[in-house]
Amino acid sequence: MERPSMKLAGKVAWITGSGRGMGRAHAELLARYGADIIVHDVLQDEAAITAKSVEKLGRRVFVTHTDITDTAGIRAMVAEAESALGPIDILVNNAGIGQHLAIEDITLADFDRMFDIHVKGSFFCGQAVIPGMKERRRGKIVNISSIWGMNGANTASHYCAAKTAILGLTKAWAKELAPWNIHVNSVCPGGVITEMPIKVQGWDRIREKEQKVPLKRWAQPEEVSGAVAFLASAEADFITGQSISPNGGETIVGF
Amino acid sequence: MPLLEGKIALITGSGDGMGRAHAILMAERGADIVVSDIRAEPAQATAEEVRKRGRRVHVVIADMADVAQVKNMAEEGAARLGPIDILVNNAGYGQRLETMDITEEDFDRMFAVHVRGSFFAAQAVIPAMKERRRGKIINISSMWGMTGAPVASHYCAAKAALLGFTKAWAKELAPWNIHVNAVAPGGVRSGGPMKLDNSEILKAKEAKVPLKRYCEPVEIAYAVAYLASPESDFVTGQVISPNGGEVIVGY
Repeated sequence: MERPSMKLAGKVAWITGSGRGMGRAHAELLARYGADIIVHDVLQDEAAITAKSVEKLGRRVFVTHTDITDTAGIRAMVAEAESALGPIDILVNNAGIGQHLAIEDITLADFDRMFDIHVKGSFFCGQAVIPGMKERRRGKIVNISSIWGMNGANTASHYCAAKTAILGLTKAWAKELAPWNIHVNSVCPGGVITEMPIKVQGWDRIREKEQKVPLKRWAQPEEVSGAVAFLASAEADFITGQSISPNGGETIVGF
Repeated sequence: MPLLEGKIALITGSGDGMGRAHAILMAERGADIVVSDIRAEPAQATAEEVRKRGRRVHVVIADMADVAQVKNMAEEGAARLGPIDILVNNAGYGQRLETMDITEEDFDRMFAVHVRGSFFAAQAVIPAMKERRRGKIINISSMWGMTGAPVASHYCAAKAALLGFTKAWAKELAPWNIHVNAVAPGGVRSGGPMKLDNSEILKAKEAKVPLKRYCEPVEIAYAVAYLASPESDFVTGQVISPNGGEVIVGY
């Protein structure tokens, strides 16, 4: 689909976990809207595919495989990426993992890894770009949470709580960073058809779950990207501390 | 192809302010517009802006408090431009009164325009949306509908009721692939507050917003246009509040 404008022309967007799934869809849509992309994923082959796709769209790309829990490595990587592409305007904290485990089966290692990747990872990726954003007095941070972070679920409580913590970061950062015109928002996807749920849950279970969604389907990854691109653009310059949940009507709450 | 190419949008209260901004932005993105307003002159001025952008337009003068006029507005709009793909329930007004000063007449008109008007506008366009199994309804609520305010409780409650419709319609209409969402503006530099507040009060209010400003009407229109577009086809029953960080709540 052709786009109405190049609303991200000249912007540099860093998208963590963009080797596949929703992260790749965000990279592709933001590139379509004119942004150059930092493709960041520990999965090297997958990152290379996303990078190729961004290049095909005529945008510049910087690829990194830095472990998101390595905070010193992240800082060094950001310096390198910025010298290649220029200052980072947009950070999409998308990297994450899923793990369907009952409370008693979650080990200390599971717990730490879940919070390290989602929460500590998002926090220190933010910390790495915020000084530059403050200096330029503009910036966009989009944190990817989940409807499970809003609602909870009957499994994966470590995942649910990590995603809720990301909503906490969003609200606090929105307030702390507003004086520098840095806008911080969340996107909370509902059911999305990516490799992760296909592998963990299987198609039969997905089809069953789709029937419980008012729109009777799960989304394609790019349907989440529309919300990310909107929040990353100047069109959302008066929106901060909010969340958009593309979830097919599965969760309707708050106000 | 622009994101709203070939769509037909009915925008109530589009004679000025935010409603006009919605009409202009959606026309720029390819939509034909049914301009509806109670005031003929501003409505014609908006229509001219739509025409300038190469889109078709039809103007209906309607009082949203009159259900017969609301029905006629939807029917006439569809007859002239084609079935309505997008309804923006934007018509509304503010009235800065304390509870003890709100008369029955004030109360009735506030709810008639915002709540009853929006309900029957939707009722008028939903059958054709169901038939085509697609549609977008965007209800314009307000930050005050979410948080309340120390004044204008009838306005606050009417705006809250629009959030109630949004959530219920999202569920009721999902089987027909009709998406219903709300936009709840914070401070906007449009007719209402500019008229009601002198510049000193406005400045003091802007200072309390984390982003230290009120927004321009078009900044609300961007959220409306996103919710009207296929990019939000998995978003329903949600609220986007462009409010500069003034209200951060719920999830």
